[in-house]
Amino acid sequence: MNKILTPFLVFFLLTSFTEDKNQFIARQGQVSFFSYASMENIEAKNNQVLSILDLKNKKIAISMLMRAFVFKKDLMYEHFNESYVESDIYPKATFEGDIINFDASLKEQTKMIKGKLTIHGITKEIEIKTTIEKKENKYVLFGEANVFVKDFDIKIPPILASNIAQMITIKFRFQYQSYEE
Amino acid sequence: MHKKTTFSVFLIVLLLVLSGYLFIVPYFKKTNKNLQLIKSEASINSKELIDAYLLDEENTNTLYAGKIIEVTGFVKEVTFLNNRNTVLLYSKNKTSGIICDVHPNQIEKIKKLKKHQKIVVKGICKGFLKDVILLNCYIDLKLNE
Repeated sequence: MNKILTPFLVFFLLTSFTEDKNQFIARQGQVSFFSYASMENIEAKNNQVLSILDLKNKKIAISMLMRAFVFKKDLMYEHFNESYVESDIYPKATFEGDIINFDASLKEQTKMIKGKLTIHGITKEIEIKTTIEKKENKYVLFGEANVFVKDFDIKIPPILASNIAQMITIKFRFQYQSYEE
Repeated sequence: MHKKTTFSVFLIVLLLVLSGYLFIVPYFKKTNKNLQLIKSEASINSKELIDAYLLDEENTNTLYAGKIIEVTGFVKEVTFLNNRNTVLLYSKNKTSGIICDVHPNQIEKIKKLKKHQKIVVKGICKGFLKDVILLNCYIDLKLNE
């Protein structure tokens, strides 16, 4: 029995170890968004964004809680969660993408990430220009992207249309460390 | 006639005060609440909270998300990444813990925290990714043993 099981166990341990070694995690990634409108500028930050960077497969995955975005004013937070992104129904936004021509050995590189962004239950393909830095055995990834509010079926009442920009700028910064640490 | 005018003025003033309370006050209200004097809606230890999220995230969200909760746990790490004051609580489950984003008025307390120290954290539960996320946290050191 043991003779049959042992090769499987070794294979499982080896593959899981290899995966861990190639996977880096950021538990406190920062994502912020900006809406520049004539009436007022709105900014919100989320400092608890989860991201996993897979060096072997050149992939990145991001997940964030919409309720964890912090606004300057209570009312902005309420409008955002209750009326626009409907956090009770769609509590998370996610992104999964491929880092094109990523070379994990380089100290600094600027690459495109092609992937799928899901907000408010709507998934859109987007491309993001990003800078990736390697410092010792850690990676820092940062950049920004623009998204249109209407692409994600977010309805803004006409009376508030002048308060919120049609295009939102999203900035991000992730500091990854080895999964094993 | 005089009574009618007084009543109308009273009604207008009442409406102005009410609309001010409902629309203008919330607009200027800051989100960074200090929870020190606010009573928590639930009290739980870190292991039970993480286990509940791992077992049934949706149901646990209905119990705790958006609510002020008090969590007892052990310090894994204190970080100041992105200019935030963060205390990480660990659990027996190696891959999950609790991320506590601490209110700026607690900075002196968190500087003194030691690894494995038992603390009580009161914060607003935001939900679960790989870790439970608590914001605006207040730290109670009474349990410091």
